[in-house]
Amino acid sequence: MDLAVVKELIADLNPQDWQEAQELILAALQRVNERFGYVSVEAAQVVADHLGTTVPRVYGLLTFYADFRTEPRGKKFMLLCHGMSCYVMGSQKLVQTLQDNYGIGDGGTTAGGELTVQVVNGCLGVCDRAPIVEMDHEYYGKLTPETFNDLVQRVIAQVNAGAAS
Amino acid sequence: MTESHIPHFRSKRDFEEYRKAAEEKWHELWNGSRTVVSVGVGSSSLAKGAAKVLREFEKHAGSDLVARKTGVDGADWSEVQVRVKRPNAPAVVYHHVTTDDVPTILAGKADDLILGVEGDAAYDGIQPISGLPFYKYQQRIVLANVGVIDPDSFEESVAVGAYSALYKALFEMSDEEVIAEMTAANLRGRGGAGFPAGIKWESGRKARVTPKFVVCNSHEGEPNVYKDRRIHEGDPHRILEGILVACVACGAERGYNYVGGEYPLAIKRFRRAVEDAERAGLIGKDIMGSGRDVAFRMRTGGGAYVCGEGSAMMYSIMGVRGQPRTKPPRSVEEGLWKRPTVANNTETLSNVRDIILKGGEWYSQFGTEKSKGTKLMTVQGPMNTMGLVEVPMGITLGTLVNEVWGGTRDGYTFKGIQTGGVSAGPLTPEYFDRPVDFDSLTDAGGMLGSGGFVVFDESVCAVDFARYLTAFNRVESCSKCVPCSLGNPALVEILDRIRLGRGSASDLPLIERTSKHIIELSLCGLGQVAPEPLLGMLQKFPEEFRRHAVDHVCDAGVCPMASDSVTVSLAAD
Repeated sequence: MDLAVVKELIADLNPQDWQEAQELILAALQRVNERFGYVSVEAAQVVADHLGTTVPRVYGLLTFYADFRTEPRGKKFMLLCHGMSCYVMGSQKLVQTLQDNYGIGDGGTTAGGELTVQVVNGCLGVCDRAPIVEMDHEYYGKLTPETFNDLVQRVIAQVNAGAAS
Repeated sequence: MTESHIPHFRSKRDFEEYRKAAEEKWHELWNGSRTVVSVGVGSSSLAKGAAKVLREFEKHAGSDLVARKTGVDGADWSEVQVRVKRPNAPAVVYHHVTTDDVPTILAGKADDLILGVEGDAAYDGIQPISGLPFYKYQQRIVLANVGVIDPDSFEESVAVGAYSALYKALFEMSDEEVIAEMTAANLRGRGGAGFPAGIKWESGRKARVTPKFVVCNSHEGEPNVYKDRRIHEGDPHRILEGILVACVACGAERGYNYVGGEYPLAIKRFRRAVEDAERAGLIGKDIMGSGRDVAFRMRTGGGAYVCGEGSAMMYSIMGVRGQPRTKPPRSVEEGLWKRPTVANNTETLSNVRDIILKGGEWYSQFGTEKSKGTKLMTVQGPMNTMGLVEVPMGITLGTLVNEVWGGTRDGYTFKGIQTGGVSAGPLTPEYFDRPVDFDSLTDAGGMLGSGGFVVFDESVCAVDFARYLTAFNRVESCSKCVPCSLGNPALVEILDRIRLGRGSASDLPLIERTSKHIIELSLCGLGQVAPEPLLGMLQKFPEEFRRHAVDHVCDAGVCPMASDSVTVSLAAD
């Protein structure tokens, strides 16, 4: 992770006082997480230094809030909606497919590092197309275990084709 | 409409003049000689290609055609929705539009895609959409402008009334009068608890410790509710105005909006609204020359359901782990940074504009005796016309399910409807005549909560669904207090045992006993209601639980019964 980029990302967060600095820790981490897909220890140190706090404090937040990751993710990142609509329409089977065919659970990455899937405990808000997954701002809805497996296969093949060329 | 420069309002005159010009421009847009094409663009329709449809229409824009985006009006089942308003005719609403349909629609054909016309009268043989069950029962106050205005346009927002309530609260009413209107409206908190907003504001106003804060709770972490997100996406200025009015009335120095981090589009559009309001001088020092100052900050959450709980939300804003604390003191005495804090739900604050402009008495004409006004309600599951609706309180459950949401789709048999998100139990058809408001569902084991309903069909196993709901609460438990952090995993363990065909008759009383401990001993609202969905399922579908626990049979064929090499998939763990 390029720490210069991290510094640049949070450069405009200039708290007026101690209280505001506290309020901005989450915002700073969100920016880093969004840009890199995770927050490394070094990045956590940069954030802590910038806002006058400590790494353990920052890690307390990283481990509490579900959106953060502390490890790098795969080349592609997919959100699998497991909200109630998706559950009712069969997202449990998609989770099971991941477990059976790829041996990964929530937040797991495929063996070749191609794809990380995060199970969303909330809702992606596209309930009439349930069950649905999101990847690179594209939605793939009304999935069955078969079409979902095809999708994952396609993504893995694409990533590997891209890496080979 | 093309956005003109946003001036900084230094006096009430400045605002009046701007509003007048904006209203005229708005009137001209709809009564001019150009065709106006409005495409509903929101998180749900984007998934169906709304942005591409809009771009396609924009290619045809010119001296005789305006292409614009609006929020989505809630009819998820009909997306992508396009409204075409030709001169001297009401707008025709098209549904399920794709980019290929654009030329046909512009040519005035595509009759098969027509949903209806706007307004109350038929036009040219096309029926009005207000006659469709999905729209017929709606009373749109909060959603009045959602799907009508461009959410990114400050000018359009002002043209349809934005900041007029703030103007009125600043110049034409005393702070006490503002609170009196809120009390007269008897608006109860829309986040689920149903505490009267007027009383909360009154306590906030009376608090003598300064500075004071107002926090808008837009966290909405429940896995089946998407109402607040849609207000943010469709009419962000309405929320901001509600927060600012609350700040003025309570004498708060600063307002906050805490939005769930899962909603990128909602955050983007709300942020834009805040920037525009800052530019206009509606946030900051000396608002519209009134001498009043209100600061504003937006904070985003990190995907922890428990942060929807008031004290947890405030801890999250303060940059620590969002773990609730014991009460009292209530947050209105000691909240954010240990200062008096008025915390309201987004929907509650979104009602403020109309209550201030039209009066509390006007508002209280809607709804029932104890639950006034309207309520946003969302549904999920295999419904024909699913989406977000705003209906008066007291509409019956059966009307909602069978008419507003069109009943279950072909091939699905209605089994039950889960109410109150993850905090209450399901209801069955025998409760269809119950009115839906804050109090009427409670004794049946249901709850209005934040208005999220989930219909499930015969293919869903009650035990498996109960496990899903309990597992959700287990994952989202903040681990601060023992009954919740250990009790919920214990419940999931029992349920897994039953699901695997290794249960026994004694497991069912064990569920009840464990649940009782969690309910009575947990620290915050999450734990105190966490076993309710399970208990509700057990109460409504006792035979199904017995079949699982005693006969070791899952009739729906969902549970991984009795297979030896079972890998228990711990979904969402």
